Parts: sequence; C-alpha cells; structure tokens
Amino acid sequence: MAPLLHVERCTKRFGGLVANRDVSLVIEPGEIVGLIGPNGAGKTTLFSCISGSLHPDEGRIVLDGTDISRARPERVCRLGIARTWQVVRSFGRMTVLENVICGALRRSSRVGPARARALELLAFTGLGGKEDVVAAALTLADKKRLEITRALATSPRLLLLDEAMSGLTPFETTAAVELVRRIHAELGLAICVVEHVMEVVMPLSHRVVVLDHGEKLTEGPPAEVARDERVITAYLGDRYRGRA
Amino acid sequence: MAASSPPARAGRAQQVAWVLAILVALLYPLPFERSGQIYYETVGFLVLLNAMLGIGWNIIGGWAGQFDFGPSIFFAIGAYTAALLSIHFGWNAWIALVGAMVVAVVICAALTYPVTRLRGHYFAIATVAMWMIAQPIGATWRLINGSQGLFIPVAAGGSFVHGILTMEFPGRGKGLGFYYLSLLLFAGTLAGARAIERSKWGFYFRAVRDDQDGAEAIGIDSRLYKVIARCLMAAIFAAGGTLYGFWALAVFPDQVLEVNWNILPMMAAVVGGLGRLWGPVLGAIVLIPISQLMTATLGSGPLAGRGIDLIIYGAVIMLIAGWRPNGLLSLPWAEWAARVRGRAPARSAPKSPDRN
Amino acid sequence: MIIFLQAVADGLQMGLLYALVAVGLAIIWGLMEMINFAHGEFMMLGMFGAWGLSVWLGWDPLVTLIPLAVVMYGLGVLVYRLLMQKVQRGEVFTQIFATVGLFFFIQNGVVALFTSDYRFVEGSLLTRLSGANLSLGGVRIGIPLLVGGLIALGLFLLLYLLIDRTDFGLALQATAEDRDAAMLVGIRPQRMYAVAWGLGTALVAIAGVILANFFSVYPQAGLSFTVLAYAIVALGGFGSILGTLLAALVVGVVQSVTAAYLPPAFKDAFVFASYILIGLFRPQGLFGRF
Repeated sequence: MAPLLHVERCTKRFGGLVANRDVSLVIEPGEIVGLIGPNGAGKTTLFSCISGSLHPDEGRIVLDGTDISRARPERVCRLGIARTWQVVRSFGRMTVLENVICGALRRSSRVGPARARALELLAFTGLGGKEDVVAAALTLADKKRLEITRALATSPRLLLLDEAMSGLTPFETTAAVELVRRIHAELGLAICVVEHVMEVVMPLSHRVVVLDHGEKLTEGPPAEVARDERVITAYLGDRYRGRA
Repeated sequence: MAASSPPARAGRAQQVAWVLAILVALLYPLPFERSGQIYYETVGFLVLLNAMLGIGWNIIGGWAGQFDFGPSIFFAIGAYTAALLSIHFGWNAWIALVGAMVVAVVICAALTYPVTRLRGHYFAIATVAMWMIAQPIGATWRLINGSQGLFIPVAAGGSFVHGILTMEFPGRGKGLGFYYLSLLLFAGTLAGARAIERSKWGFYFRAVRDDQDGAEAIGIDSRLYKVIARCLMAAIFAAGGTLYGFWALAVFPDQVLEVNWNILPMMAAVVGGLGRLWGPVLGAIVLIPISQLMTATLGSGPLAGRGIDLIIYGAVIMLIAGWRPNGLLSLPWAEWAARVRGRAPARSAPKSPDRN
Repeated sequence: MIIFLQAVADGLQMGLLYALVAVGLAIIWGLMEMINFAHGEFMMLGMFGAWGLSVWLGWDPLVTLIPLAVVMYGLGVLVYRLLMQKVQRGEVFTQIFATVGLFFFIQNGVVALFTSDYRFVEGSLLTRLSGANLSLGGVRIGIPLLVGGLIALGLFLLLYLLIDRTDFGLALQATAEDRDAAMLVGIRPQRMYAVAWGLGTALVAIAGVILANFFSVYPQAGLSFTVLAYAIVALGGFGSILGTLLAALVVGVVQSVTAAYLPPAFKDAFVFASYILIGLFRPQGLFGRF
C-alpha cells in the first residue's frame, strides 16, 4: 500500500536553532503513529510543517502523491489533514454546534447538511447536549473534545493530535483515549499522536517514532522502542528532573 | 387569559415588536409631510442611510473582526460611478446603482487582497492609508472634475412613482421620496445581511474573527473571506453613496470622503452592539438624532463648526471601549424590564452573545 | 541633479524629526503590541503647547520644550491608567477602537478651543535663524532645520542609551520579551507599560514642539503624522529603535523627493502606498524586534 503521508528529510530552522533536522517518516493509511521525544525535540514543529502553518527549509512533505511542502494550511486541510493544537483552540464566541458546523462546511457548502453532520459528530464524540454552550465556557476536557470534533468534521484522512491529553485528569485522560480508539475503529483514519504520557501512547500506537534534539532517533513497534537504550538515555534526564 | 410560558410570551412580544417597527417605519414621514416639516423626513433618511451603512460595516468589523477606518472610499466610488453613468450614458439611477456596486466590489477586491496578510492594527492603519491617499486623488482627478464636483441632471416633473423608479424628485416630494427610497434600500440590506449571517459566509467570517489560524486549519481561506467581507461592505457603501449622490444632486470629494462617513456607520454598529444584526440600526436611531440635535442647537452659536459632536463621539467611543465593549444590545434589558415590573428575571439557558 | 540632492538633504533632516515622532510608537508597540491612533494628536498637542506658551508668555519653544515634555509624559501615563489599561487584556478590536475615540476627542477638543485656523510660532530662536544657511556643493542646508534635527538626534541617542544601557531599560526590554517572567523577577509590568506610554507621548510631543518652529500649527495636523509614524515603525521592523531611525530617514527622503517632482497633495500618498507595499512584501520590516 502506498503511504498516506511521506515526510522526506524535513529540516526547519529558526535563526540559529535547528528545530527539525533531516526528519523522515512515513504514515500508512489507517495506522496510529505515536510521536514521542523529550521537550524541545521538535515534535510540534514537525506537525506545523505537515499541516502548513510552517514550511520546511529543506526536504519535502508528500500527501498521497501531492507535494504539500509549501501549501497553505487551508489547502492542506482540503487535501485531508486535520490537526489539533498544543494549546487548545476554539472559536470562543461561537457555540459548540457552530464551531463544528464551521468544520463541516468544508465538505458541504450548505448550512443545513453541515448542521446535521455536526450534530451527528457531536453525539459521536460525547458532546451531545452541549450544542448551545458558548465554546469559551467549556471545561478544558470538553474544549479538547470540541477541537477534535471540529477537526473530524472536515473529513480528514489523517488526524494530527498535538498533546491532546495534556492538562487532563486521569479520569478525563482515559475517556480521551477511548475516544481516539473509537475514532480510529469507526472512522478508519490515520492518526498521529504527539504525547508525553507513555501509558497513553504506547498501548494506543501501532508504531512509535522518537525525536530528540530535532533528529529522528529511532522508530518501531512500541515494545521495541521502549526497550531501546538510546531512547532511555534521551529520557533519563527528564525523569530525574521530573522527580525533583 | 391563562398564564403562558416565558418563551411563548417572548415569541409573541417579538412578533408585536416587528409589526410595530414596520408600521413606524412606513408611517413615520407622513405627519411631517402634512405639516411641511421636511427636515424630519431628512433626519429619517439619514438614520436609514447610516443604519444601512452600519450594517455594511458590521460585516467586516463585527463579523469578520477587521477594523476598517476608511469605508468612505467606497461610498465615494459609488457616488461617483453612479453620477458618471448617469451623466455620460443617461443610465437610470437603479441601473447606475448596480453599476456602482460592481465597480466598488472590483476595486475593493483589488485593494484588499494585498493587505489581507495584515492583521489587527496593521490592517486598520492600511485602511486609513487608503483613505488618505483617496483624498488628493479625489481633489485632483479630472475625470470626476476634481474638487469642483459632478452635478447630476434631473428631468423636470414626474409622479411620485416615477420618482421612486428614477430616484428623481424635483421640487416637492423630495423629502418623502428619499425617505422611502432609503427605507427600500435599508430593508434590502437588512434582508441580505440576515441571509448572509445564516450562510456559510456568516460562519466563516466569524471563524476568521475568533481565531484566524484555527480557521485556516479547518480549511478556511482567511484571506479570501476577509476580501469577501470587505467587498460586501463596499457594495453596501457604494449603494449608499449612489443614494446620497442622487439626493444631493452633486458629488464633491470632500463631502463623500468626509470623516463622518467613516465614523458614523462604525459608531452605529459598535454602540448598538457589534456583530449583531440589529446593532447598527439601534445605533443609528440613537446617534443620528443626537448629531442632528447638536448641529441644530450649536448651529449658529459661537460653538458652531467646532466639532462638538465629534468630541462627544470620541468620549462615547472611549467609554464604550473601556466599559461596555459589547454595545447597547448587550445591556441586560430583559432583566431590567423584569425588575421594573417587580418580578425576578426568568432563568434562561446561557445564550450565545452573538444571537439576536 | 541638484534638485534631487537638495531633496535628499531636506529629506534627511526631516527624517531625523520623523524618527522622534515614530520612536514613541515603536516603544509602545515593542512593549505591548498596542497601536495608538491618537499618537499624532499628542504631537499636535505639543505643537499647540509650544505655540500657546510662546504667544501668552513669550517663551521660546526651545525653553518650553522641557516643561511641555514633562506635562505630556504625565498625560501619557494618565491615558494609560484611565483607558488603555482597561482594554489591554481584551480584544485587539476594542484597543483600536479606544484609541480612535481618543483621536476624535483630542482633535476636536482642540478645534473647539482654538478653531481650525492655522497658527504660527513667531519670533522663536530657530525661526530667527532662518536666513542662515550652510552650503555643501550647491546644496543648501538651512540652519534652523539642522538644529532641530540635531536636537532630535541627540534625544534619540539619549533614548537609545536609556533602553540599552540602564537597568530600567533592561527591565523594559525584559517585559517586552516575556511579561510573566519579568513579573517573576520583581518587575511590575503595569508600571513599565505606564512609563512606556508616558515616554512615547513625551517624545512625540517634543517632536511637535520642534516642528512648531517650521510648520503651521492646526488641529488636523496629527493624523497624517500618525500614519507616517506607523509606516516608519513598520518599515523599521516593529520595536527596533535603531530600525526606526533608519526607516525614518528613508521615509523622509522618499517624501521629500516625491514632493520635488509631484504635486504637493501627493507628498504623503507615496509614503502611505509604501506602507501597504511593505505589508505585502516584507511584513517584518528591515530589522527585528526590540
């Protein structure tokens, strides 16, 4: 099967800082790929390059045969990639339903069908009953859920989740993982998850890619990666700092 | 009568309000026509014109969230285009109006697309810059006779109906005629805005306003929609400019580019309630009579022409920005009304502040 | 050719004064990402202050420069505390709106008090020097404007030293860089913001006092300077003081050369058009941040 997304040797610099250096990775249709690495490894930068908010200085990003390296974010979305953000975003002054309708309008130009689709998706992701709540008034967990729902409304083939679990209580985290599972099972899209919480990422992913200091360290099935000496070394310092 | 539930009462109250509003709007000028006080008809005309412009400004300012300080350039483009079409080709006023709107939209698209990369303050200053460039152009361009202005010829005679069809009211009936013309255009603008608000464009404008990057990430071309919003405003301002031109029968650059055409529609929108469909209407109803009153009372005294009205506008704007950024419509009218009637206000589900 | 060189020379001198007009905006922007629609109005108040004091007390603008600067500093702080502080945390739209209101209020307040008539500062030291010229290879450099420009340059240098070499300036830069981190080391951001507004207002008012020696004084003088200042700050790369100086010189020359060859009404149009072009092609300006 041809890969859905192919990142070829992506390099991105910010002045003197090399955020991504020669990063290559492949995502097959329908798989869940975990993207992990210590803070500052360049994960969000990579996501931004893929989704079009940033453009790689060197290298290419190809989605199903189309070069999207220099595409604007709205074109990338049209071609089938949706993303959520590290700091959750929503259209604060609109209601939950209106937020999702904005996403659904990507696929159906008329508000009527978009609205129907939005209602379906809200029920699917568990926000049913909160349609008329103003987005700014939601809890963090619900805001993240809304962000995901809105992204799903654009009918993506690849969903990029940037630290979707951060800031959630253990209870909320379990619910979120359940949601990601359900999305994968019932909608069959490819998902790439950036996450710090190992207990979340490892069981969820088919494959894990590890970044460190802007470079790809290794990749493979979760169990292998977890045992890899280099990965443990890259995280070792973090673990100590975490305990202090 | 048996007690009815609050939502049903609210629904009926709304219907009654609608009927009353339509009646007032239709019948307003008639008593003044009887008594010959054309002045009040003209005030009505100005209220409706500014309300219409305010609705237009609301599209770019309230819905798309981009501050436009120079919409009067499209007012001027509308007035001049319609005048030129009427003078050189003898076009009927309404056809000239359509032509004016088309020209304004084309120019707006060309001017706005380059600056859509700018956000917030940068965009605002760009619109000021455009307005300031327009002024020397207006004063010196020979095609439009520069500062000497263009005069629109009007055929003599004609019935009232003929006047409505051609926007020409020589002699008596002008005040009445233009009042109803402005009411017609205002109603059309209101209906159009309402349709847009509920359409895909309405959603997309507000998405760009609330979070431009987030909007792009769900496939919204923010630059395109900023242009569309501004073009809609330009079309409405051009229509207003056409109406104004035929009313004044002359188009002068310093009159159509005057700062009042920048500020009054914007103030009407903000004072009334930014982003809400009826906001500019309420704002215009409040502001125009006040401005006319000030002109009347200070008109010939020692403070005449001293910009007292603009001082007051400035103060009002600052007050609103500092204390009530959501305008008059955001004040808790329902609660106050309930309190006046001596009852506790009804508990209602939290509503979106952008619903009218 | 001589016309061109003359225009460049005049433009450079005006550019120095423009730098003073724009730098206050650059500071406020660099620190708070706020723009002040009424920026030019404060300059206009400086002009009126200089004119008024010269008419009623007979004091030369160069003398009243300092007291006026102090008063305007206070006004800037007052405007911040009464108005801008309230809108700072809110939406950009409301911030713009607030300073637009300020703009109308100040400009028309002056109209109400003094009418829109043009006024002139007469008999000041600088205007009395107006016959004196330097001549550099056929290019005439008027002494008054040169002195004005040098004063502006001197103030600019003082400002640069303040921001770059003092603890206070460091605190200002820190707050611009990261407000919360600055709070953690004991800097009070509100105080920095108030000072920035005071400084910005005082600087542009000083520019007004100097300009009053050469230009007619009238209430509507402000707006085109506001847009000019904004164009300069945009070209110089928002927040960079040195960038502001260089950009101001460029703008001064562009304006002067334009005026030499096109009808005077278009003098500013070219500058404004450049602002739009910069926004299109190089939104980050020529230099970086604060």
